[in-house]
Amino acid sequence: MRTLFSFALPIFFFSAIGLSSNAATKPFPYPIEQHKMANGLNVVTVKFDSPGIASFFLVVRVGSRNEVEEGVTGFAHFFEHMMFRGTEKYDKDQYNEELKAIGASANANTSLDRTIYHMTGNAQKLEKMFELESDRFQNLQYPIHDFKTEAGAVKGEYTKNIASPFAQLNENVANTAFDAHTYKHTTMGFLKDIIDMPNQYEYSLRFFNRFYRPEYTTLLVVGDVTPEQVNKLAEKYFAKWERGNYEAKVPVEPEQKVTRFTHLQNGSIPPYVSLNFKGPGFDEKGMDSPSLDILLTILFSQNSKLYQKLVLEEQKVRSINGGIYDTRDPNLISVDASIVNKNDMQYVKDEVTKAIDAVKTNGVDEKMLSETKSRLKYSFAMGIDNPSSIANILSHIIQLTGDPESINRLYENYEKVTVEDLKAVAKKYLTAEKLTVGTISADAEGGVK
Amino acid sequence: MKTLMLGILLFGSLLAQEVVELKLPNTNKVTLKLMFKNGTVCDPAGKEGLTYLTSALIMQGGTGSLTYADIQNKIYPWAAGYSSSVDKEVSIFTFEVHQDFLNDFYPILKGLLLNPSFSQNDFDRVKRNQQNYVDQVIRASSDEDYSKKALEDFLFRGTKYQHMIQGKSESVKAITLEDVRDQYKNFFTKNNVMIGIAGNYSSAFLSTLKKDLQNLSAIKHLLPAIVKPQMPKGINVEIIQKDNAFGSAIFAGFPMNLTRKDNDFAAMMVANSYLGEHRKSYGQLYQKLRETRSMNYGDYSYIEWYDNGGRNMLQPAGTPRTTNYFSFWIRPVQIAKQLKNQYKELEDIKIGHAHYAIRLAVREIDNLVKNGMTKKDFEATRTFLRSYIKLYVQTPASRLGYLMDSKFYGKKDYVNEMDKQLAKLSLADVNKAIKKYWQAENMCVTIVTDKSEAEPLAKSLKENLTSPMSYSNIVKAGLPKEVLNEDDAVANFKLNVNEVKIINSADTFK
Repeated sequence: MRTLFSFALPIFFFSAIGLSSNAATKPFPYPIEQHKMANGLNVVTVKFDSPGIASFFLVVRVGSRNEVEEGVTGFAHFFEHMMFRGTEKYDKDQYNEELKAIGASANANTSLDRTIYHMTGNAQKLEKMFELESDRFQNLQYPIHDFKTEAGAVKGEYTKNIASPFAQLNENVANTAFDAHTYKHTTMGFLKDIIDMPNQYEYSLRFFNRFYRPEYTTLLVVGDVTPEQVNKLAEKYFAKWERGNYEAKVPVEPEQKVTRFTHLQNGSIPPYVSLNFKGPGFDEKGMDSPSLDILLTILFSQNSKLYQKLVLEEQKVRSINGGIYDTRDPNLISVDASIVNKNDMQYVKDEVTKAIDAVKTNGVDEKMLSETKSRLKYSFAMGIDNPSSIANILSHIIQLTGDPESINRLYENYEKVTVEDLKAVAKKYLTAEKLTVGTISADAEGGVK
Repeated sequence: MKTLMLGILLFGSLLAQEVVELKLPNTNKVTLKLMFKNGTVCDPAGKEGLTYLTSALIMQGGTGSLTYADIQNKIYPWAAGYSSSVDKEVSIFTFEVHQDFLNDFYPILKGLLLNPSFSQNDFDRVKRNQQNYVDQVIRASSDEDYSKKALEDFLFRGTKYQHMIQGKSESVKAITLEDVRDQYKNFFTKNNVMIGIAGNYSSAFLSTLKKDLQNLSAIKHLLPAIVKPQMPKGINVEIIQKDNAFGSAIFAGFPMNLTRKDNDFAAMMVANSYLGEHRKSYGQLYQKLRETRSMNYGDYSYIEWYDNGGRNMLQPAGTPRTTNYFSFWIRPVQIAKQLKNQYKELEDIKIGHAHYAIRLAVREIDNLVKNGMTKKDFEATRTFLRSYIKLYVQTPASRLGYLMDSKFYGKKDYVNEMDKQLAKLSLADVNKAIKKYWQAENMCVTIVTDKSEAEPLAKSLKENLTSPMSYSNIVKAGLPKEVLNEDDAVANFKLNVNEVKIINSADTFK
């Protein structure tokens, strides 16, 4: 259980702008009902026509970003595992039995900025979901032996993931690109810290005490429910949850001045080039985040000039894509290409640079800009066809700003993006000084300048 | 185990077109699925991977009037999407488009299906990626997927089910553009297509589609009969060794004569859910290997093919089969080289955890066959499944997919019918079915592991050596007595091992 998005693909977030046929509605077409409880817990309900089914999500704004202390990387994710290890009322076996009786699809996952606990199932069991989740969020209690044992499962997860050369490169890129900020390590954490996890029982108690608090958390229910019903249950089950007072001091990353390089020697997969530029943190007020989303779509989608040249015509590249890690603090904008012949690695990097430079000088075609806005809009509109998709989309925006309404503001901003905005973000972020080049090939050195 | 071309005609032209409709007037999109009853069993010998390449080229190529790039440019602002998926017995094309653009999109869709361009340039590109998958990707990117595909290769050796969907290194090399054209003409025909449509569409649209699809090839090709694999004699193990593997990834299984068509399927669904429900913590395998001993990330079991289990949490539609097997999946466990590095107290161990883990899993199956489920476990598992299976069909696309799969199995609505069957089921039904379909004596096992682990692990398995669980001291100190007792029983559990082979990664899938 407990999946991990430790290196979520750099997928930007598709638009939710309302369709033109219904201009009066907000970009996100369903009402978002919010109820802020006295202890700081935000309760969000979205009523959706899914007869008998509801998604129940708890979004805790703690992830590997908060792991500021030495020797405890990977702890947010490890702690997510511990949340399944029982309370005084329901030990782990009883918790499992209760969960099984609900018949829901239930799990959790951790990434850089947040941990999500989710259940999708029978809406008639909503109160049971509240009871189980409120109990473990307030009264988690695991034996020390269980704590030590669970660390083995985390190591198993690392073992599974790291079989992929891409996971290895990803680990190296983060470690190379960042000096001070906690994005230096992946959500999985450094292996040495994972091996040491069984010795960190005391720290785990502190961790729970710090972060599993109402002010860090949003309770989100989507589906065949009413806001009244959800708010009433939230008050019944979560009102006694005490507010905390901890805030992690996440180090600020110093400005990068020169291009950095990391190489993985591995001939078992095709040569690979990963260009990673230091980008901005997510900002719903400014234009940088929406402009970058649009620019990267224009540059690297399947109808882009670059894709059509490198992949379709010349066939020097197997696949290419680009996107930004949506995170609270500045993170990487990544362009990744799988290459047919290693002699073309430098060529591909140069072609990407040329395409970026062309935007800096000439901007982009107005028609392409408006078609991209349309693409984002329709892509989103077609994607919100079930409670768990909607809950996932809202969880993503909640992790970034804490407020689900940010989704409307963000997508209103997409509509406002201009060609000048695109030129501006290309000049500001897509530069050699901010770049970390990651490569994989059979050679001892990457060889890409 | 030869596959015979018996000439079973599955869809005669006299039959009316098979159509599955799911009208959803409140949705904003239309989902169209075309299921062709062909699949990789239709790949000619020496050209394994041809059906996959044909499907992929139809979806990633052009039409008579548009290049692939033209199509991408046109559909970009609509965010329309389409793709193919291929399994052993079917190929499925899925199209999704917003209702605003259905009419604009239709000529493209029609062109792709009826008039694919099959250009040399597109062929080279698509084939190169497929070649790379069979040469490199499957061996290098996920040891779990590798062991799963290697198990199918092992279980179905000598049959049309053996090869990977994408084919083999040599066979993909041999495929020509002419082969693709022939495969399209012979196996993507109006006689073997099932139409599925969901969402907000008009009857007129569907009529046009049905009429146009009459222009697919009219060839009535003979589909090969599916020959069931034979039960292996004893436990046969293939250890695939590679450089720098971090763990041992394990899949094991044996043929099982049971599909969704059969009345016993509901009973075995309960048994299997209890033993190892996919990606759930409730199963016995998960409980014992992961929850109690933390040996890995998870452990599950299956009574039918489960596509992309590393990613999918809920069983996806689109892989109906007439031949099934039982399998269990042990996610990578630790190898000796890593454990020795990590814990001083384990510096003398010879092997990692794979032998122990296989023993534990086989012993659990054996216990279930001997003792059956208890009334309490039966009731809890049945209650769970009756809610859970409804989650398989949350989106229009998944509902449509499940309805089409139902039709493949001669059913109307599998999820609903399964609920009714589960309701009627008794504990006796389940325990009887377990004895009928499961056993612990004969199976195939594949293990993908590091070179350093292969030899000692092979010796341990071959000689049925005791394989004590090697815990770190910090975990061992707190283990309750019943766990330690069970460890002893597991470590000495005799496996009916017949043969153990070590294979180099480069020599797999030949």
